[in-house]
Amino acid sequence: MTSMSGREFFTRRYEQLGWKFKAVEPRQAIRINSANGKKAETVQRLAQRGVGLEKIPFLEDGYWVKASKFSVGATSEYLVGLYSIQEAAAQIPAALFTNLGGTTVLDACAAPGGKTVQLADLMRNTGAIVALDIDKRRLTALSNQLERCHIRNTIAHYMDTRESSKLNIKFDRILLDVPCSGNFAIDKAWFSRRTLQDVQENAKVQREILEEAVRVLKDDGEIVYSTCSLEPEEDELNIDWAIRSLGLKTASIKCHGEEALTNVFGKQLDPTIENARRIWPEQTQGFFVCRLTKQESSS
Amino acid sequence: MRPVTDFVNRLHAETKLDEALIVKKKDRYFLLNNRLKGLLSGDFFHAGTYLGKTKGGTFFPSFSLLALIAEGKANKVTVDDRTEWLFICGRDVFAKGITKVVGSRRRGECTLVLNRHGECLGFGRMLGDLQAKSKEVAVKNISDVGDFLRRERRHA
Repeated sequence: MTSMSGREFFTRRYEQLGWKFKAVEPRQAIRINSANGKKAETVQRLAQRGVGLEKIPFLEDGYWVKASKFSVGATSEYLVGLYSIQEAAAQIPAALFTNLGGTTVLDACAAPGGKTVQLADLMRNTGAIVALDIDKRRLTALSNQLERCHIRNTIAHYMDTRESSKLNIKFDRILLDVPCSGNFAIDKAWFSRRTLQDVQENAKVQREILEEAVRVLKDDGEIVYSTCSLEPEEDELNIDWAIRSLGLKTASIKCHGEEALTNVFGKQLDPTIENARRIWPEQTQGFFVCRLTKQESSS
Repeated sequence: MRPVTDFVNRLHAETKLDEALIVKKKDRYFLLNNRLKGLLSGDFFHAGTYLGKTKGGTFFPSFSLLALIAEGKANKVTVDDRTEWLFICGRDVFAKGITKVVGSRRRGECTLVLNRHGECLGFGRMLGDLQAKSKEVAVKNISDVGDFLRRERRHA
């Protein structure tokens, strides 16, 4: 019996999905908190300090760090909340919601808070964000981020998102940046640490999170589902399951990445899954993102 | 809510905080808005604007509270770029690094420390003549935003 783990096993799967494995080093990126200052001024101030930035073409507020003589996490501009250090692909999900201003948003697996701050920035601190996580240490990091970036519209709870209906709140927007298996581009030991069984176990938890999210989503609400996993069990196959079992439908998105797969290892999936985006690692880490809404009959 | 308002008064700040919107969680204080107040139920970890915490009877203001106070009238000193860097590294402010003073100059009182962009870097206690060219410390550093890095290191 062949092992369901290891570099060879996983890279062979990627080839079956249409991507030839190559070792990559994602570029460092920052995101400017445009609610806290003018973008051009922040870029100029960093340039004066010797931090060379390059606009990321597929992101509104994202910049690659081309060169820096010191850590970009130690400037006064960072410490007063003018920007955050956030990997480029990780900046995509929060930006996919429509009309965020004034809404009630659930950030379901929020810590350490990079996307929570991004949501608050996009909302210009209006409306309300409820941020949940089950890791207290990481919630402390989230709380520090909210303080550093002067976020005023967020409540954070130490709570498993699979119990979010206990909050008795219906949400307009739900960000499901679910816990996942990760990918080799951001974890050098990934191939030696991960097995297909891990992937399947994570996929099961992700389905439970999706199921609960549908319960607390308003009928006209939106879910953005994302992972930094390249494994289709956590990506296209979960979305296929959500369409068939939870009455969700995918929505068209315009963002970096390829159309998601509609045929995985010979299994034909719902054709609308092509609305989602799969990002194979190159300048960014690996990523998957999909926007979902309720089908009329599922409300 | 007394520790928060007492601290605001110590800076001679005109900031008005609506006490009906301040909530306490153990030793930590948070400022809500009406929207958040309507959503807050049961236990929480963080809510709205973190204002600070009390420890051993002393109030430690958050940087969000300091930034909020800095928006209005209060004791403030503005420092030059070199002093800014030294201050966020935890060092005290020398008079020669101060470019502007607003509010009280009285020895022993607290003042916000701002950079030339008007961003609040922390606060300290005034120890000497703020515009003298002496080599004495003018503002003793009590708290600075470099603390975010120290917290990251502590939790790493």
